[in-house]
Amino acid sequence: MLHCANASGNLAGDMTVLERQRARMKWQEEQGYFSGFNAVFSSSSSSSLHVQDSLMLAADSGCALGEVVAQAQAQAQTRSMNKPSLAGFDSSSSISRTFSCPPALVEPEPRPRPTDSSFGKECLKKRKPDKLHNAKFVTENDTKDKRIKVGADDEQSKITGSPKSNTKTNSNKREAWADTSNSKQNSKPSEVQNQKPDYIHVRARRGQATDSHSLAERVRREKISERMKYLQDLVPGCNKITGKAGMLDEIINYVQSLQRQVEFLSMKLAAVNPRLEFSVDDLFEKEVFPTSAANFPNIGMSSDLTNSAYLQFNSPQQMVSYGGLDTGINPPCMGLKRSISAHVSMPETYHHSSCFTQMLPSSAWEGDFQNLCNLDFDQVRATSFPSHLSSGLVEAGNHLKMEM
Amino acid sequence: MRNINSVKQEFLKKWIWCLRKYSSQKKNMSLLERKKAIKLSADLAMASTRNKTTRWSKALIANASKNSSNKVLTAHVPGSSPPQRVRKSSTNYSHSTRIRSCRRNRAVYRPRDRVVASFIAKKLVQKRTRRLKSLLPGGEFMDDASLVEETLDYVQSLRAQVEVMRCLVTASELMILNPS
Repeated sequence: MLHCANASGNLAGDMTVLERQRARMKWQEEQGYFSGFNAVFSSSSSSSLHVQDSLMLAADSGCALGEVVAQAQAQAQTRSMNKPSLAGFDSSSSISRTFSCPPALVEPEPRPRPTDSSFGKECLKKRKPDKLHNAKFVTENDTKDKRIKVGADDEQSKITGSPKSNTKTNSNKREAWADTSNSKQNSKPSEVQNQKPDYIHVRARRGQATDSHSLAERVRREKISERMKYLQDLVPGCNKITGKAGMLDEIINYVQSLQRQVEFLSMKLAAVNPRLEFSVDDLFEKEVFPTSAANFPNIGMSSDLTNSAYLQFNSPQQMVSYGGLDTGINPPCMGLKRSISAHVSMPETYHHSSCFTQMLPSSAWEGDFQNLCNLDFDQVRATSFPSHLSSGLVEAGNHLKMEM
Repeated sequence: MRNINSVKQEFLKKWIWCLRKYSSQKKNMSLLERKKAIKLSADLAMASTRNKTTRWSKALIANASKNSSNKVLTAHVPGSSPPQRVRKSSTNYSHSTRIRSCRRNRAVYRPRDRVVASFIAKKLVQKRTRRLKSLLPGGEFMDDASLVEETLDYVQSLRAQVEVMRCLVTASELMILNPS
């Protein structure tokens, strides 16, 4: 028999590839027992994960290699003792072996395990049909997996089966197994990787439920905390606060303040505008521009430029059709710059247009403009008119930018 | 979310469009009426800017369309959805509450002080979650996971809304400052 030959070979201390693999599994199991890398067993079918895990474990390990080898050999011993009676049926063999394995594990481990093992046995009785299914599942997976020689396939399936059943000797292992088997049943191999950090997190909560509901809960919680992090970045003054309740408080305050701001601003707008005339575009097209064009014939091409820019700004539909906001804002600036040399009233028109003015008597514009300049720039006591003009231009440009 | 500027631009466009629609319906409104109209149109514009992708926008539009006086406006807003869709999500919510209650029962088996502490913490979080739900449009039908997500989106769009509105306010104030 292949198994017996193999086992005896192992007993002699000859580490074949298979044996090394087994040792590693065993080692991982031990490590998993200590530090919570239980997901190894689910992923034992996928070699890449396996390698990754072993690397991680190697980085983590405080365990001496010799001890591991000894443990593996001890396990091999027990297996070889069991094997003759078990040859013949595949899936059930791994199950029945579980009864013999816990005592074997007690020897190498420094931990007190009797309670655990007894508990595990109880669990085994309860979970027998479940486990049967799982064992079959593992065999299937492993036969699909072609990383081992064909001759050793059967043996490999048993190996993966037996550590797996060993995992059930304590409750945490059981949890891990449930985790991974669930994710397998969902046929999402990537889920296993996703669940890994979860998984460590989960281990802190001992004895919690392992059914699919609580798994979903865990995933959901993870998602929530991730989103909460984003929210933390978004809400000002929230990144110093730890704890969900405090964060939620801050978020609530922020949302409320924003909502109140909207209220307040709409109230202000309603107060400022007696008859809801935000539909400024038609008003402006009809009234302001014809007058300006009529009054200042020497504007020339800059008026055309600003005209088009102005239209872009004031009628949002057109604005959108012209593409981005930046294209909407750039022409006005250009127009402004050109109109510096052109005429005095141009920036004034601009300013008014950006402010959604009602119709103004065009004769009063000059005075208005000067008033505005004086109002806004009291500190710029300029002697000459051109300086006034330029400051006004800057102001107009600022407004334009602000509004966008 | 898309580029914030394009969002603002779209919002402004829709808002002004809504306002024009509204003001064409009613002449000579009082101050409060005007304010209500402005706010409603701003909300609707914001909701339709986040077209059909989020639950809060759907709920906002649905709430607005419940009010018969707003029918004119909401009928034209793209992405207005029937309120049945919101109700469908309420079943999800009840489901999640059932799970939550199960969890609470399980906590009884822990050591006592820990139970008390975690119970209090959970209570605090729950209370705040409920408050947040009441703040968000359509929030009462959301479960926790989507609530946080929607809050994220809602806060972002509220910010854009506030910025655009503030710009408009300053513009109209400046207009008042230099009157004819």
